[in-house]
Amino acid sequence: MVKSKRLYEQQRLPDKRGYFGKYGGQFVNEILMPVLIELDENFDRYYPTSEFQEEFHRLQRDYGGRPTPLYYAKNFSKSIGSKVYLKREDLLCGGSHKLNNALGQALLAKKMGKSRLITETSAGQHGFATAMAGRALGLEVEIFMGIKDIARQASNVKRMKLLGAKITPVKTGAGVLKDAVSDTLREWTSCSRTTHYLMGSTVGPHPFPKIVAAFQSVIGKELKNQILEKEGRLPDAIIACGSGGSNAIGAFSSFIDDNKVRLYFIEGGGGNLDADNSAAAFQLGKPGILHGALIQVLQDEYGQIKSSKTRAAGLNYPGRGPQICYLYDTGRMKVGYAFDEEVFEAVKVMCQTEGLIPALETAHAIAYMLNHKEEFYGDEVIVLNYSGRGDKDLEVITRRFYGD
Amino acid sequence: MEIKEKFRELSEEKEGAYMAHIYYGDPNEEFSLSQIEILVKHGADFIEFGIPFSDPTADGAIFQAACERALRNGITPPKCIQGIKKLRENLDIPIIVTTYYNIPYIAGVKAFLSEIKEAGAQGIIVPDVSLEEANPLLDAGREVGIHVIFQVTPLTTEDRLRRIAAAASGFLYVVNVEGVTGARETLADSTLKLVNRVRKHSDIPIMAGFGISKKEHAAAVVSAGADGVITGSALGEIYQKNLENPEETLPKIARFARQIKQGCIKGYIRRLNAQNISYEEV
Repeated sequence: MVKSKRLYEQQRLPDKRGYFGKYGGQFVNEILMPVLIELDENFDRYYPTSEFQEEFHRLQRDYGGRPTPLYYAKNFSKSIGSKVYLKREDLLCGGSHKLNNALGQALLAKKMGKSRLITETSAGQHGFATAMAGRALGLEVEIFMGIKDIARQASNVKRMKLLGAKITPVKTGAGVLKDAVSDTLREWTSCSRTTHYLMGSTVGPHPFPKIVAAFQSVIGKELKNQILEKEGRLPDAIIACGSGGSNAIGAFSSFIDDNKVRLYFIEGGGGNLDADNSAAAFQLGKPGILHGALIQVLQDEYGQIKSSKTRAAGLNYPGRGPQICYLYDTGRMKVGYAFDEEVFEAVKVMCQTEGLIPALETAHAIAYMLNHKEEFYGDEVIVLNYSGRGDKDLEVITRRFYGD
Repeated sequence: MEIKEKFRELSEEKEGAYMAHIYYGDPNEEFSLSQIEILVKHGADFIEFGIPFSDPTADGAIFQAACERALRNGITPPKCIQGIKKLRENLDIPIIVTTYYNIPYIAGVKAFLSEIKEAGAQGIIVPDVSLEEANPLLDAGREVGIHVIFQVTPLTTEDRLRRIAAAASGFLYVVNVEGVTGARETLADSTLKLVNRVRKHSDIPIMAGFGISKKEHAAAVVSAGADGVITGSALGEIYQKNLENPEETLPKIARFARQIKQGCIKGYIRRLNAQNISYEEV
């Protein structure tokens, strides 16, 4: 009993060195160490204060539109065979869960006296959220984005530009998220005194996974109250898509200690489960060091990191965040994946049953449910963390269904 | 040759040390081998031998491109280790391997250090291993006999500096980056400050890197108290302009090495003179 209590604690929070089990840590250059220590100290200093909490809460409520509803998806439930609720993070201003974290970190950066935010983005959702948070809090914003992603997510690029964010194209590597993260880290080493790196997911060196998880935990807190109100009990399972894991960890946060609530994490299967054609790091990766932390990551036999592949830009990262890795390792969380083709079908089902266009990322969780109905029983209550809306993917989706 | 021995030799000859950093296999192995040969012939006292990594986050654009090209052209860690062996056939000066932690981590840290030791390397720099994560590397380094070189910066706090100096062996790598050093502070000023801070804790040799591309830079930081300088991307910049025939740039590379080495000598003499004056004043 005592042992399992400790295990829960380790699953929720990293140790002092930033480790969840064997995952995490601070694998960064000495230039960044004082910056990370400063960040950790400031987070611990400001985050628990009632002043910070009130300001954060006010921003989330009045600017972001929280709480987001928990919607009983009656029609979609019929296609699964159990009672499915959608936690509507797509209704958060900006169209995804990303604003939770962006507002929190922007507020923290402001408290720390920084004047500028830098970050990377792939689907553009996090970049857009950062551009919003920067404007709301009066901080300059520069966003690094792979050239491939700039082409794929044109509408979000327009949105970010409209908000006055500087977009810096990343041409190195494959021109995707992994390369943009590397470039943002590089930029940060040269400007950390004035600039905060607003990490977009529960990845990177400690304390980022801890900080992002804390700011996203609002999803799980709301979800718990809402489901208790509607059903009078906890859900049987929570399912979320992810790569770094921020929406999943946010949704799981209030349920980690409750073993009866099954947790599902769905990664990007890509075209197929060939190492060069997928983003399924739990299927095809192994432990390694990327972007400051020891994580499950796609790599070759010598430790060179591989570029992931999936049609969902937001899942196109070769690593899983340290907390997600640990939840998987300890057996607390089940991992699945969905292939691109299945994901497009899932979009269609959600459109036709509920009249909602999901983001391609979110559609991975939907696809998993549709393809694994046998795992969800008739009397069960399942919550799907509906992490984002699909407007940004409209072109890709319509081209897939109707051609050019 | 051991690192210590090289520094002793240089101080006897009244010279600052010059370490040249390359990434092996960019654009191909043959060029890297001839580049190193030229660098050594024209003044390099140490070779920092980079084993390319897919995501070199502590390197700038030039070396990032170098890693990418080398990997695209098929370089692997085993080929790099073979390269060190080849170099050792006619090279006596210390070789310091630089790579990112996932490369030794996947090979097994101790196994990797044994291999580079056997091939002929004396030390290793792993720019993405902080002091906090360095124990496996330090343990293996001690066991195998490979110096683990640490980096310090003007932002490194006093407490960290003390702990890093205690863990370091071989030499300390002083990193000066624009934006990290004070806005109007010169390279020499901030190096001097950092060298003096390190000296409070340790008499380990200090090599200054980042942003050194001219004779004057080298002279300035050596006269400020650094035991030597490191040049990296400035070399990459020279041959990257002619990737079709990089061999054609070798005379330029030779000239560059001579300039930097002259700066190291000049800086050392300037420092000695300054010391003499202050002694006389006392």
